[in-house]
Amino acid sequence: MVPEGRTEVETTVRGVLADVLGLSRERVEAFEDATPLFGALPELDSMAVAGVLTELEDRLGILIEDDEIDGEMLETFGALVTFAAGKALV
Amino acid sequence: MTGLATDHYDWAGGREAMLRFGRPDWPTIVVAQPLFEEANRTRRLIVTVLRLLATEGIGGALPDLPGTGDSLVATVDARLEHWRSAFASACARVDVPVRILAIRGGTLVDAAARAPRFHFAPVSGADLVRDLLRARRAAALAAGDVVRADDPRAPGPPLQLAGNHIDRTLLKALMDAEPGTADRAYTLFPAPGSPHPTLAATTRVAVWRASEPGDDPALARSLADAILDWIRG
Repeated sequence: MVPEGRTEVETTVRGVLADVLGLSRERVEAFEDATPLFGALPELDSMAVAGVLTELEDRLGILIEDDEIDGEMLETFGALVTFAAGKALV
Repeated sequence: MTGLATDHYDWAGGREAMLRFGRPDWPTIVVAQPLFEEANRTRRLIVTVLRLLATEGIGGALPDLPGTGDSLVATVDARLEHWRSAFASACARVDVPVRILAIRGGTLVDAAARAPRFHFAPVSGADLVRDLLRARRAAALAAGDVVRADDPRAPGPPLQLAGNHIDRTLLKALMDAEPGTADRAYTLFPAPGSPHPTLAATTRVAVWRASEPGDDPALARSLADAILDWIRG
């Protein structure tokens, strides 16, 4: 099912980060919009970035073009949710 | 007693190593491993599953494909058709009733082998290559390098992707490859439109993608149980 709103997208992003990176639910629940991701989370290496994006595509029913992948969308939890919501909630 | 032993198999292109679990006269599961970096990240899971199966009287065989693991073939010389033929040879070498466990990109490699198949987290070759290109893009972003958009189908030198030097012939063949039909297939995550049921697992971490996959005994147990259920059907 395609999520209806930003909260649902945010929940999906948290779930993907937990499942792909093997982070505990507690740790992922504590993520805030400003929590830094790429370059700050050792679990999020380049292979894992690919995994997170592919998993988001599958669960949100979206398609992410490679040239859309930049440092900005991966910088913080909030930025990733905003990017995913922009794709999922069109 | 899981009876770990080092074996080998011969194929048209040479000889490759093959780990064996259990007794050689037991019915045996031959594993088509995930490809490239995913093979490293799933190694622990696969070995744990084979050890669990060996405690139930099921043998396990873990062949290296040419250009992977301890192979003398350079990664850049790896080709999909070689992998398929080598994997079929590995299955033929195991001189007892054989079944296949193929995981992720391994589901693209088992096509030429004649044995019942169990697929876990099957993936199309196009998706695999896309993942590799994305990982390279992310690595370039992290390093502050210029991000090149390379079409692997275009002629050119081998590409350095996720730590592997890969020839474009292999990338092209992979991009056209789809998993064959399996007698049983499970995914790890529910996805809209997926034709396969999800594994009844208590933990769901994509070990093939996690940078620190560690040990996931619960996932190994779920996978081993599903394989046992399939074998004992």
